[in-house]
Amino acid sequence: MAIDGIIILDNSGRPIIQSGFRSCSPAYPLLHIDALNNALAKSTRVGDVDPIIYVPTYDGRDALLPSACCHILCGDIRIVCPVSGEVDPLFAFAFLQGFVEILQEYFGTVSAATLKDNFDVVYQLLEETLDSGGHPLTTSTNALRDIVLPPSLISKLLANLSTPGAGGMSPATGAGAFASPIPWRKAGLRYNNNDIYFDVVEELRAVVNKNGTPLSSNVWGKIETNAKLSGTPDLLLTFTNPQVLTDCAFHPCVRLQRWTRDKSLSFVPPDGHFILLDYRYVPSGPASAVTGSGTPGVRGELVHVPIVLKSLIEVNEFGGTLDLTLTSRLASRAMENLSAELYLGEEATGASCMTSGGQWGGGGAKSLPGDVSWRFDSKKKVLRWEIQNMPSSSTFHLRGSFTSGAKNPRPARALRIRFEIHQHSFSALKVDQLRLTGEGYKPYKGVRGRCVGDVEWRW
Amino acid sequence: MSGQHGQDAKFFQRGKIEEFRTELQAAEAKDKKFLKRKIVLKKIVANITMGNDMSPLFTDVVQCLGTPLLEIKKMVYLFLVSYGRSKPDQIHLVIPSFLQDCNDRNPLIRALAIRTMSYIPIPVVTESLSDQLRHCLKDRDPYVRKTAAICVVKVYTAEPRRAEKNGFVELLRDLMLDPNATVVSNAVAALSEIGDRHDGVIFKLNLTIANKLLTALGESSEWGQIYILDCLLRYVPEQHEDAEQMAERVIIQLQHANSAVVLTAIKVLLYLMNYMGDRQTIDYICKKMGPPSVTLLSSGPEVQYVALRNILLIIQRRPAVLKNDVKVFFCKYNDPIYVKLAKLEIMYRLAREENAKEVLAELYEYATEVDIDFVRKAVRSIGRLAIKVEPAADSCIKTLLGLIETKVSYVVPEAIIVIKDIFRRYPGKYEGIIPTLCEHLDALEEPEAKAAMIWIVGQFADKIDNADELLDDLLYTFKEDPVEVQLALLTAAVKLFVYKSQSDATKELVHKVLKWATEEVDNPDLRDRGFMYWRLLAINPAIAGEIVLAEKPAITTDSDRMDRGALDQLLLHTGTLGSIYHKNPETFIRNAAGKALIDSPALNAHSRAVRIPLSRNVTEPTTVTVAGPGPPETHTQKPSPPPIPVDIDTSKPPPPIPTESSPSSESKDLLEMDETTSPDIDDDDAVPSMANDPYSNIDGAFGNYMADEPQPMAAGKGSRRDLDDLLF
Repeated sequence: MAIDGIIILDNSGRPIIQSGFRSCSPAYPLLHIDALNNALAKSTRVGDVDPIIYVPTYDGRDALLPSACCHILCGDIRIVCPVSGEVDPLFAFAFLQGFVEILQEYFGTVSAATLKDNFDVVYQLLEETLDSGGHPLTTSTNALRDIVLPPSLISKLLANLSTPGAGGMSPATGAGAFASPIPWRKAGLRYNNNDIYFDVVEELRAVVNKNGTPLSSNVWGKIETNAKLSGTPDLLLTFTNPQVLTDCAFHPCVRLQRWTRDKSLSFVPPDGHFILLDYRYVPSGPASAVTGSGTPGVRGELVHVPIVLKSLIEVNEFGGTLDLTLTSRLASRAMENLSAELYLGEEATGASCMTSGGQWGGGGAKSLPGDVSWRFDSKKKVLRWEIQNMPSSSTFHLRGSFTSGAKNPRPARALRIRFEIHQHSFSALKVDQLRLTGEGYKPYKGVRGRCVGDVEWRW
Repeated sequence: MSGQHGQDAKFFQRGKIEEFRTELQAAEAKDKKFLKRKIVLKKIVANITMGNDMSPLFTDVVQCLGTPLLEIKKMVYLFLVSYGRSKPDQIHLVIPSFLQDCNDRNPLIRALAIRTMSYIPIPVVTESLSDQLRHCLKDRDPYVRKTAAICVVKVYTAEPRRAEKNGFVELLRDLMLDPNATVVSNAVAALSEIGDRHDGVIFKLNLTIANKLLTALGESSEWGQIYILDCLLRYVPEQHEDAEQMAERVIIQLQHANSAVVLTAIKVLLYLMNYMGDRQTIDYICKKMGPPSVTLLSSGPEVQYVALRNILLIIQRRPAVLKNDVKVFFCKYNDPIYVKLAKLEIMYRLAREENAKEVLAELYEYATEVDIDFVRKAVRSIGRLAIKVEPAADSCIKTLLGLIETKVSYVVPEAIIVIKDIFRRYPGKYEGIIPTLCEHLDALEEPEAKAAMIWIVGQFADKIDNADELLDDLLYTFKEDPVEVQLALLTAAVKLFVYKSQSDATKELVHKVLKWATEEVDNPDLRDRGFMYWRLLAINPAIAGEIVLAEKPAITTDSDRMDRGALDQLLLHTGTLGSIYHKNPETFIRNAAGKALIDSPALNAHSRAVRIPLSRNVTEPTTVTVAGPGPPETHTQKPSPPPIPVDIDTSKPPPPIPTESSPSSESKDLLEMDETTSPDIDDDDAVPSMANDPYSNIDGAFGNYMADEPQPMAAGKGSRRDLDDLLF
């Protein structure tokens, strides 16, 4: 169970950095790069390339040595992970995901330019996260920071030091590394203000059929945490309504037995940003209390979709007409950054629309002009309608037509609607209290809720 | 210094060896803070990255090893890792430095030194490493111990006997009891890798060690957990209780954030279930496995894809796992195509009477989508659904007819192809729709669809008033048609003649086709079949009719499931490449150790009955060209698509004709000969199954829609329904 290595490609398919590939022939990584580039060239849509490409390679004696090329796209770079032998491709993907997180932590944004600028750090990271046999070594950023200095720290340290470390090789490394008994947390942390923030982020993913009935709707939530606490704090987080959390997946720091016993989260947090827990929210009762108005026909297991789309789309020869109406079902909150996208088909040439609306039932701020806009992306062939701020119970319209080079245009059968709701959560998950043991201070804690929606509405 | 930072991109320019050498030499004097050396080394490393050969600088770079700065040391080691192998005559220069670093008081440097040495498989290096490694495996610092554990694998790969002589395997075994969890997991990883080698020692776990490892599980890193979980497959439970208790402790890991941990835990649970006796426990575990599999689907498309391919395997073995979750697998229109196709397959597997309506509505939605490939498969799935779930057949037919009405060029052919199978599955029930189908004859361009339509016209010629006209039209392009269409036309013409032998037009038509087939065609199959029909008709038209229009065996979709034993074995590879391609790794990965369920008193009777023991002889890999997405199997079978044209003739009766009904021995001979060449594969998928290979039908059991065509009932194992519990 080990991967063969990692290759980072720029967006033209050329390698920027790769790990050693010490146990294979020099041609091996090249074969994988070629295989991927060929597959990309052949595919019509970039996203449709199989994530695991079969690559027949040959060893020195011309015997077939089958392998597979796992790859992911990350910003403008593509990270390739060749595997051979009996390896779990998920192992490769999990590692790639972790590696991207490390890069983000170190460099902020991950792009071909930043990686080239910091190639020596990337190299060290590769060496520390992956040994030549392809076994992941250290992937927790907390421990990595001890052995590979992040770019900003190196420059700071070097600027302040007048003489090179005489005894220890380098001042920050050495004794501290792996001294911590907890693999995910550094030892000896000190903060002036001890604070910890929890962001409860929930995403609604739904498919709604043309009658407005949700076919499937799921809420996936996660608690993003940012801990800045001194020493080795042992935390106990309890919720008033833990029953809304189902199908949980926890950060390794969480004591699973404790959760199984009394549904409270007991953990020693890593330092900095991490995701404490992923969960799925399944409403328990038949009337889901998200908006208050339970429509008949919505079964108990489905989360209510807080928006209604009425669409009249007619497809004619060389074009068609659209008439869309969006209404918010939220009683008290506004939706932000709402967008509705419709793919108009490969041959689409243009669109022309009028937006109107903003009539709402209740009070609330009048939406400013410029709030609502539409545009046609001629590259992606997508019509995009944006509403910056959608007050509660308001209604917006979009009317217009589109043109197409095809006699029988085939637009997508569904619109993709995305929106955000701040200070809100679908599950109404509430933190009861956070208790800290093991350290003497009292931390400042903050909890925020945020929702995003991603709804596929068929017409 | 700090200004340097962030502009390293400029090092990415081709440098000359001589230039670097001069710069390095110049750096030896007056190098404050070793700054100059560092810059040159950075340039050299950047050049290695670009693939420029920097090995001529070997002696110069090695000089820098004495510099007391970790950053420089790391870069020199990086250089050594890249070129050490290619300099066996100069490597002795470095060994003193290596040995010194192995005893440095900084654990990071000790670890770095043995790690670098292990990357250079040259006897001198391995020899000095062996001595150091023995100490490092017992080092007081866990970082050194965990690095040493992995180094053992490298030594073992280079010189297995030396590693064994030095007692490294025993030392690794001791490390499994180390107080540090990371060390434990690395020792496990090392032992597993050695155990997977063909020349390696056999690595098995007993109950005590397995329990010990489970304790370390909680404190390990996610990768360590994967290694530990994975090696639990090396433990063979002797009692049901052992398996049950262990499963209880593994279940907790299903809640891990790392998807690979979750899938590995599922693999272990599936394995342990084979050794359990209590039905309730098994049901309980199945129920526990569902939600985590669904959670995997909230990740990125790559993870989803791997998860879906594995779920497809799991639900065939344990249908209880996601029985009520078909909705989770509904496709979104912006899913990548590979995710959509994998979901479609699972939706079909999960379809049953209770959810058939929802599934059908969903499939209909897909059939109107933009992506052509996906639309075709959706239409096929509607047909397969009709065949699988009888109560849904009516509405499926209605939906298919609706789709045909759309006249979309790629929907109609697919619909016709599946309707042909529906006719076979429900004889006498839906023939009323034939006139509607006949209206769309002109739309059929593709051979498979055309052949299907011709089969329908021929088979039901008695119910179609103008069958002779239709067939005459179709015959217009006979000589240019692909052979599968020609074969279908030939058979259909004979059937028409059998039905309507009074009509002169029919006589003329069949005569024309037989003449063409026997005199103007080069294809031997077609010619042989032409001759056979001709003689048959000439000798006794009545019996010819009996033979040509004999009752056909009904078809079912049961047989598209995999052999149970093969499934059990494949599930031991859950999550690996084998489960993506649905092939057993040892068939396409050289040197992969096969896995098999190991017999023990606890193994439940049913799993034992279908168990496929491990064959130790490894087939030499042969070069095989790959067809389709998966890798080749070394014992090749024909790739299922494209279908072999012979199987179009559906008119031949599979049961052999009783001898007395054949009037002349000559025609009997012909029949018998025909039995061996193209008999009753007509609905089978033309993959001759190999008697000794349990996997010969794997392609048929999975994935390819061609391969998933319905098969004669007889081929299936009795009347297993999808809801049948496969537990015992």
